[in-house]
Amino acid sequence: MKTWRAVGAALAAIAIAGGAAACSDDDGDSPQAGSGGGTYAIWDPYPQFDDDSAWVKLLESCGTTAGVTVERTGYDTTDLTNKALLAAQQDNSPDVLIIDNPVISTLAEAGALTTTEETKLDTSAMEPNLLGAGQSGGKTYGVPIGANTLALYYNKDLLTKAGVDVASVKDWPSLTAALSKVKAAGKKGITFSAIGTEEGSFQFLPWFWGSGAQLTALDSPQAVSALALWTDWLKQGYAPNSVINNTQTTSWQEFASGDYAFSENGTWQLANAEKLDFEYGIIPIPASSGGTAPAPTGGEFVSIPAQSKTDRYATSQKLVACLTNADNLLATDTTLSYIAPVAAVQDKQIATDAKLKVWVDAVKAAKGRTGDNLGTKYPKISEPLWTATQAALSGSKTPQEALSAAQTTAASATK
Amino acid sequence: MRRSKTGDWAAWAFLAPVTLYLAAFYAYPLYRNVELSLRNYTVRSFVQGGAPFAGLDNYRKILSDPTFGPALLHTVVFTGASLAFQFGIGLALAVFFHQHFPLSRTLRALFLVPWLLPLIVSASTWSWMLNSDAGVVNAALGAVGVGPVNWLTSPDWSLVSVIIANIWIGIPFNLVVLYSGLQAIPTTMYEAASLDGATGWQRFWRITFPLLRPVSAITLLLGLIYTLKVFDIIWIMTRGGPTDSSTTFATWSYRLGFGNLLPSFGPGAAVGNLLIVMALVFGLVYIRLQRRQRA
Amino acid sequence: MTRLLRTVAGVVLTAFMLFPVYWMINVSFTRDRDMRADPPHLFPVNGTLEGYRAVLDQQLPYLGTSLLVGLGTVALTVTLAAPAGYALAKLRPVGGGVLSFVLLIAQMIPGIIMAMGFYAIYLNLGVLNSIPGLILADSTIAVPFGVLIFTAFMSGIPEELMQAAVVDGAGRLRTFWSVVLPVSRNSIVTVSLFAFLWAWSDFIFASTLDGGGDHQPITLGIYQYIGNNNQQWNAIMATAVVASVPATILLVLAQRYVAAGVTAGAVKD
Repeated sequence: MKTWRAVGAALAAIAIAGGAAACSDDDGDSPQAGSGGGTYAIWDPYPQFDDDSAWVKLLESCGTTAGVTVERTGYDTTDLTNKALLAAQQDNSPDVLIIDNPVISTLAEAGALTTTEETKLDTSAMEPNLLGAGQSGGKTYGVPIGANTLALYYNKDLLTKAGVDVASVKDWPSLTAALSKVKAAGKKGITFSAIGTEEGSFQFLPWFWGSGAQLTALDSPQAVSALALWTDWLKQGYAPNSVINNTQTTSWQEFASGDYAFSENGTWQLANAEKLDFEYGIIPIPASSGGTAPAPTGGEFVSIPAQSKTDRYATSQKLVACLTNADNLLATDTTLSYIAPVAAVQDKQIATDAKLKVWVDAVKAAKGRTGDNLGTKYPKISEPLWTATQAALSGSKTPQEALSAAQTTAASATK
Repeated sequence: MRRSKTGDWAAWAFLAPVTLYLAAFYAYPLYRNVELSLRNYTVRSFVQGGAPFAGLDNYRKILSDPTFGPALLHTVVFTGASLAFQFGIGLALAVFFHQHFPLSRTLRALFLVPWLLPLIVSASTWSWMLNSDAGVVNAALGAVGVGPVNWLTSPDWSLVSVIIANIWIGIPFNLVVLYSGLQAIPTTMYEAASLDGATGWQRFWRITFPLLRPVSAITLLLGLIYTLKVFDIIWIMTRGGPTDSSTTFATWSYRLGFGNLLPSFGPGAAVGNLLIVMALVFGLVYIRLQRRQRA
Repeated sequence: MTRLLRTVAGVVLTAFMLFPVYWMINVSFTRDRDMRADPPHLFPVNGTLEGYRAVLDQQLPYLGTSLLVGLGTVALTVTLAAPAGYALAKLRPVGGGVLSFVLLIAQMIPGIIMAMGFYAIYLNLGVLNSIPGLILADSTIAVPFGVLIFTAFMSGIPEELMQAAVVDGAGRLRTFWSVVLPVSRNSIVTVSLFAFLWAWSDFIFASTLDGGGDHQPITLGIYQYIGNNNQQWNAIMATAVVASVPATILLVLAQRYVAAGVTAGAVKD
C-alpha cells in the first residue's frame, strides 16, 4: 500500500509540474499590443520559427500596423494542404495562408482562395515568371513571398584533388566525365534527392527540362535521355543508391560529410553552406548540350483564403501588403535564404551579398511547375513522374518502360 | 445471479456512458468515411459541398487499379509476418522473464521503451540504421564480409525492412499482455507437472500454451487490428515505395487522400473502408471460434 | 548460478532490443556534417550539445502538455471503461455481446478517419485546439481496449466476493465501488499504462485537432525542428530522448502492478 501511495504522490507531483510548465509559456505567446480590432489567423509552413523568431515578430508588427492582433500557427508543410482544405470545408479558414506554390492551383480550384481582384491586392511589382505559379484561368490567387531554385553545389577542395576544372562542366557529357574522374580519385560523385514525393520530381525537373522535354509528353526521347542520365550515374557508382530515399536535407548531409563532389540543392542551403568545413562553389545545372537548364521555382505564396465574412478581406489585404512590402521582403527572404520576387529587392540582395547573383540569375531563368497552363494537371503528372524515376533508379524498369508507363497514367489522369 | 429486467436496466446504466461515447465518437467518423467513399469528390466539392452520388464507382475504381493486387498481397504479408514474429518473440520473452531472476522486473520495463517513442522518431531511426550507404546495419554486415543490402531502396527488400521495424515496435505490446496471461496460470499446475517428471519443454506445450490460448487469441486479434492500421512506419521509411513495393492498404489509402498535391478523397476512403471490412472479417472469425470453445 | 546466467541473457536481449534507442541517442549528439558519415560513427565523436540546448530551451512546455494530456486520458479512460467492464463481466445484460462486438469494430477504424470526423464535431462544440478536446480524442484510442481488459479481468473475480457484498445489503453501485474496484487494482494499472502510452505517442489527433492550439503535446513540438526545407535531426532525436525520460520513470514504477490483466476466463471459477 505504501508504494501505491508513493506512486500516487509522484504522479500528482509530476502532474502539477507538468501543468505549471505548460501554463508558464502563456506569457510567451500571448499577443502583445492589445489592439481592439479583433484577431486574425495566419497559417504558415515554417514550424522551425517559434514565437521569439524574427518571422513571428514581423507578423505581429504587421498586425499592429493594421490595428489587429495576429495569431500565427506554423504547420508541417506536407500537412498544410489537407489542413487548409479541411478548414475551408468547415468555414474555419485562416485569414492569411502562406503555402507552397504548387498547391495554390489546387486550393484555387477548390474555391478556397480569393483572387487578387477581389481583395485588391497589388501584384504589379512581382516578377511575372514567379507570379505564374499562382495564376490560373487568367486570375491571380496570391503573391510570392520569395523564390528559391536548384543549382549544383560543388566541393572545391575535392575537385582540385581529383584534377577536375569546374569551368569545364558545361553540359551533360562533361559533367559525367568530371564524375568519373572523381570516382577514379576514390571519392563519390554526386548526390541528389529522388524520393517518391514532390521533392523527387522537383529535383528531377532541371534535368528533365534541360533535355528539352515537356511535362505534357513524359515518354519523349529527350525525357528518356534525362532519366537515363540518372540511372547511368547510379549504375556506374557516381551517385549513391541512397538517392532513392533521400530528401533534400539528407542529400545535403551527404554532401556536408565531405565525400561528395557535387550536390544538387537549393538556395535555402546557403546558410548551411557557410558552416561547411571545406570550400564550396555553385554552378547552374547544365542543360544536356550546354547552357543553363530551366529549374523549377520553389518558395511559398501568400494568399487570402475565402471567408464567409467578406468584410475581413480589407484587413487581410493590409496584412499581406505589409508582409510583401520591399523592406519586409528583404528581411524575410534573407532569413529564409530565398530570392526576392521583386526586381528592386533582388538588386538590394545582390548589393548586400554578391554571391547571390548566381542565384538571382537562376531564379530569373526558372519556371513555375504549375505554369504553362498546367495548373491542377501538374500534380497528376508529377506523381507518375516520380514513380517512374523510382522505378528506373531501383532497376525494376528501364527508363523507357518507366516513362511510357508514367505517360499512360498521366495522360489518362489529365483527360 | 438471476437475470431480471431491473437487473438489465441497472446494467445498461453502467454501460450508458460508453454507449453514448461510441455513438458520438465512432459512429460519426465511420459514417463520414462511408459517405466519402460513395460520392465522387473533387477538391472543389469537398470544400463547397454538392458532390454527386457515385454509388460503388470508387470501389470499382480501386479494384481495377493496378496497385490493388500488390497492395493486397503486401498487406497480407506485412500483417502475417509481423504478427507471427511479434507474437512468437513476445511469447518467448514473456516465458523467459517469467522465471524470476535478478533485474527481471527492470529489464522487462525497459523492453517497453520502444513504445514511448513518437513514431516519427522510431521510424526515422530505423531509416537511418538501414540506409544503404551510411547505415549501421550495412556497416555491420560489411564487418562480417557480407555485401551491402539496399534495405529501403530496393523493391525486393523494402517490405522486409518495414516488417522488421514493425516487429520491433510490436514486441512490447505482446510481451506485456502475454506476460500478464502467464501470471494468471496457477503455479500449482507447474508443481504438479514437475512431480510427474515433465521437462520444461513439455511443461510449456502441455500446460502453458493451452492455458494461454484465450489470451493468445485476443492478443493475435488485437495485434491484427492494430497492424492493419499501421501506416506511419511504412510511410516514413519508404513512402510505400519504391514503385509500390511496400504499399499496403493503409499507406495506399493515405497516399490517395493526403499523400499528393491533389487529394482524391473518394478512392482513399474506399480503401480505408476495405481495410475495416478485412478487420471485421477476422473479428467475426474470432467470435465464431470463441463461441465454439464455450459450447 | 543459473539465475545469474539468466540475468546476463536478459541484459543481452534487452541491449539488442534497445539498440535502435541507443542509435537515437547517438544521433542526438551528432553534428550535422557527421550525420551521413560513411562508415557511421558508433559513438558520437566530436559530439555536440546543440540539439539538447534547443530542446531544453523550447520543448519543456510541450512536455508539460503531453503529461497533462496523458494523465487526463488515463482518468477519462478508466472512468468510462471500468463500469462498462463490470457490467459486461458481472451483470451480463441482454445485448452485452453486441456491445462487445461493436467495441471491437470501433478499434478497426484508422486514426486519420477518426481525426477528420472529429474536426467538424470539435469545431461545432468549440473544443478545437484545446487540451480537453485532445484528451477526449486520445481516449478513443484506449477506451475499447480498456473495456476489453476490464471485462476479461473482472469476469475472473470469484462469485463468492460478489455474493458476500449482496448479503451485506450492497446494491450494484456499492458493490462496484467497494468490492470490485479495489480487487481490480492490477487491471486498472494495466489500462492506465496503455492509455498513457498511447496518448503520449499520439500524433494524428494532436496534429489535426490541436495543430493551432496554444498548448501542444511533444509529438507536435518535434515539428519545430522539421522546417519546410531543412530538418535538424540532432534536435529531433534529442527531443525524443528528453521526452522518453518521464515516461520511462512512470513505466518502471508502474510495471510491478501490470499483472494478471487479461485472463479471459483462463482461470475457471
